[in-house]
Amino acid sequence: MSSQTLKLKGRSELGIAALLGAVGGVVVWDALRLSVPYSHSDPVGPRTVPLIVGGLLLVCAVLLAINVLRGGRGEAEEGEDVDLSHPSDWKTVVPLLAAFLANILLIDTLGWVISGTLLFWGSVWALGSRKYIRDGLISIVMSVATFYGFYLGLGIHLPAGLLAGVL
Amino acid sequence: MRRLNALRLAAAAVGIALAATGCGVTGSASGSASGSAAATNAGPVTGLRIMVPNTPGGGYDTTARVAAKVMEETKVATGVEVFNLAGAGGTVGLARTVNEKGNKDLTMLMGLGVVGASYTNKSEAKLTATTPLARLIEEPGAIMVHKDSPYKSINDLVDAWKKDPSKISVGGGSSPGGPDHLLPMQLAQAVGINPKNVNFVSFDGGGDLLPAILGNKVGFAASGAGEYLNQIKSGEIRVLATSGSKRLEGVDAPTLKESNIDLVFSNWRGIVSPPGVSDADKAKLIAALEKMHGTPQWQEALKTRGWTDAFITGDEFGTFLKDQDKRVASVLTALGLA
Amino acid sequence: MDALNLLMQGFATAATPMNLLFAFIGVLLGTAVGVLPGIGPAMAVALLLPLTYGLEPTSAFIMFAGIYYGGMYGGSTTSILLNTPGESATVITAIEGHKMAKAGRAAQALATAAIGSFVAGTIGTALLVAFAPMVVQFAVSLGPPSYLAIMVLGLIAVTAVLGSSKLRGFSSLGLGMAIGLVGLDPVTGQQRMVFGLPLLADGLDIVVVAVAIFAVGEALWIAAHLRRKPMETIPVGAPWMGKQDWKRSWKPWLRGTALGFPFGALPAGGAEIPTFLSYVTEKRLSKHKEEFGHGAIEGVAGPEAANNASAAGTLTPMLALGLPTNATAAVMLAAFVQYGIQPGPLLFQNEPQLVWALIASLFIGNTLLLLINLPLAPMWAKLLQIPRPYLYAGILFFATLGAYAVNLQAFDLAILLVLGLLGFAMRRYGLPVLPLIIGLILAPRAEGQLRKSLQLSAGDISGLWSEPIAIFVYGIVALILAWPLFAFAWRRFRPAPVAGGPGAPLAGGQAAAIVGPAAATEGSTAAAGQLPSPADTKDAPRQPADGGDSRGDSSGDSTDQNRVQAPPPKARL
Repeated sequence: MSSQTLKLKGRSELGIAALLGAVGGVVVWDALRLSVPYSHSDPVGPRTVPLIVGGLLLVCAVLLAINVLRGGRGEAEEGEDVDLSHPSDWKTVVPLLAAFLANILLIDTLGWVISGTLLFWGSVWALGSRKYIRDGLISIVMSVATFYGFYLGLGIHLPAGLLAGVL
Repeated sequence: MRRLNALRLAAAAVGIALAATGCGVTGSASGSASGSAAATNAGPVTGLRIMVPNTPGGGYDTTARVAAKVMEETKVATGVEVFNLAGAGGTVGLARTVNEKGNKDLTMLMGLGVVGASYTNKSEAKLTATTPLARLIEEPGAIMVHKDSPYKSINDLVDAWKKDPSKISVGGGSSPGGPDHLLPMQLAQAVGINPKNVNFVSFDGGGDLLPAILGNKVGFAASGAGEYLNQIKSGEIRVLATSGSKRLEGVDAPTLKESNIDLVFSNWRGIVSPPGVSDADKAKLIAALEKMHGTPQWQEALKTRGWTDAFITGDEFGTFLKDQDKRVASVLTALGLA
Repeated sequence: MDALNLLMQGFATAATPMNLLFAFIGVLLGTAVGVLPGIGPAMAVALLLPLTYGLEPTSAFIMFAGIYYGGMYGGSTTSILLNTPGESATVITAIEGHKMAKAGRAAQALATAAIGSFVAGTIGTALLVAFAPMVVQFAVSLGPPSYLAIMVLGLIAVTAVLGSSKLRGFSSLGLGMAIGLVGLDPVTGQQRMVFGLPLLADGLDIVVVAVAIFAVGEALWIAAHLRRKPMETIPVGAPWMGKQDWKRSWKPWLRGTALGFPFGALPAGGAEIPTFLSYVTEKRLSKHKEEFGHGAIEGVAGPEAANNASAAGTLTPMLALGLPTNATAAVMLAAFVQYGIQPGPLLFQNEPQLVWALIASLFIGNTLLLLINLPLAPMWAKLLQIPRPYLYAGILFFATLGAYAVNLQAFDLAILLVLGLLGFAMRRYGLPVLPLIIGLILAPRAEGQLRKSLQLSAGDISGLWSEPIAIFVYGIVALILAWPLFAFAWRRFRPAPVAGGPGAPLAGGQAAAIVGPAAATEGSTAAAGQLPSPADTKDAPRQPADGGDSRGDSSGDSTDQNRVQAPPPKARL
């Protein structure tokens, strides 16, 4: 890998340092707005632990940033399915996220059967399967089966959404 | 070949879909809701949904399911659906109820805990906005100690407590704002102790509180006696007093009133409807609940579970709710929690 | 012995065809709900309760017990195969188990989990029978100070699993602790990190977080780097455990049982802490340390035994005292009341038939589960041969379903998404996942127990060591922390024949075998003082020569009690 890619990689890890700093900052800020009723029997109070945690995160953020700028890197995870020689394949990740997000947004309005189908179908498509009809059918069957399974087996009523009255 | 397979799959899917609609589960319940308005008052209530603002298995959940079952068995109502909408001590369910103005099919089973939670969770929706239907049951609280405790009577305890409140720890199975927290706070107020000085230790429910009592870790415990009847009978736990207006059956302990402490406290549960429900619908629901209350099945259920009957309806319940809301607000404000 | 006679009678009752059928239904149902993250045995029993009104109490309870044990087995299966822990108690299993599965050793992982669970469950139930009163006495004597001491021990143990980059490990721990802060302050009831969203007021559930970071994070990661070459399916190797596997598993099974049972019996014990402690212990005692993080069988055997032993442990105080130590036990107690049976110390006397039939059915259920799961292990392993897109889409589908079904709130799915992205980022930048989960579990508990201890002693700090167990555990902690000094002195003043390398660590290591996580701090205290220089991370060996957690491990963080997002009777309402 070129030194330029390395440098870029290093920079992007600063994002993690930024994340740690942001979370630490939020924790501390949230803790400071808590009221601490003086209590003889609760000397620790509601603020102490959050301040410690926030402090820890802020310290880590700074140290990590220093570490990254001096060249250290975290090791990306490897695995059977994972091919690290290319940068992240956003063309796959984004549709996958989109399918997940769509489900979140639509589950209550369209109902589980429809949104679950979209979720599964979208996910398999994003991950590379192009057998549209087969995938669509599998998605529908899974959604319907789990809908009934939960309804009849556990008494949990997943939202029927648009299909209320039909199912 | 592939097309044939695809066609077969499609046919199968359509078949499944048709069969599914045939054995429709969602159709019946919601479909007939609109029809019930036209039905006479004599017929069973249809399309009723009871929301439990708590997780399955909890107190409200059990009460709701028992009520639903009795109503179904006695044909007071048919097709009753009980569902859970848990979160933030019950305020998520409360918010939902308050939002569904005029919805006569939705009811919520709630109790004292939700009143407290609406303050500690700073809920915008208030219980007083809902349409009160009926209070169903109540459970008086109990002041309990370990059998080896030095306090033999409630007055012993109160005397020691008044001397130095912060030294005596009080255990309860709720977090601040819950019934087990409200009881000792109101007790403190009744005997002249500043609630701020009360050393309340919250435990995660009855199951978490029990070992603390048995291990003699807390000064005393304030909770409902129902979960500990067996330990009380076997003598492991001593009840110093109960907080109801009458003595608790099976428990040999005086009430607070009998012991010259001016407090009547109970952890009650009731049913409410969303705001804006018409008077006619309200009357219909109350009539149904009254019918349920009168059935032998309901009385039987009360006995098996050790619930105390505390049935009041409509406006009487509404006044009670307002009063409870005020009381809880005053205690929690004094503590800085509201 | 009286107990033995009663047990035999219990078997007679439990072994009727009707009750056997209920046991079978129970274990199947339990396995099914255990597989789904979010829904667990507690919620399943709570939901089935109304449906069982008409049944004989004995039959109903036999079914519930089957659901309980089955849940543990089901949770392990998905942890191993799909990195989707179904129960908080099986989160740790996912660490090594999933790695084994990816290496083609899924069948062995499942087998060791099944057998270990059986061994632990059987021994645990036997202990229940033999020692119930004593165990209960002990359990009740522990209060917040003792629990705090145990949490402190746990936090020290975390330093053993921070991975090769201590800095990143601590960052991960910090993130976990921050997530754990979300919710209500245990003493004053104020909202922390809630930002006005009422659905956050109850905190973030361990299983949802674990599923998000493990399963969703992994799915996203795989999506980003999927090999576009012909889809090789994961190899599925030999279907049965080999001799080496047996040899390496049997001691972890026993050690795991020893850890799991007492924790299950303790009111605030739970199943997550013993599984985590078992993992750390096995890692320390293993002769194959370098495999940890890549599929070490001990890392599955120990925790699995621990979690089933703790399930048996939980039933001990429940039956003997009416004291529930986790959500499932609490629901079962509620079930007792529903049938008009009062749980409590008099239960054994008042309802001997029911209780002993129940205990007998535990043995039966355990055996049934072994019979179902063991032969089916190679078949389950074949599940991994589903083409990738379907496998990962399926994981996302079921993770979503499980998380949603608990509360029927889309908000939980939003949490899955956000934390899934976090999991993705952690994999990308080498942040180990185990410390995050441990932080999430331990920090809130440690804080709660600390403040409760002080409340109970009215602010007096000596209350923290007012219980014998607390003193004992702190003693162990002190030993662990002081160990590096001893080891150092030992090396200095007793010249080892083989100077340097192998000699020194061995001297320390021998005694470290006695005190489990001891040597952990050796490494961590050494590293703690330094600023992480580039050398630390850059030269961090790609092969985990120092103990395996160098990778941002996807699988494997400890689990938490009451795992299910729906522990029913929590606060008193």
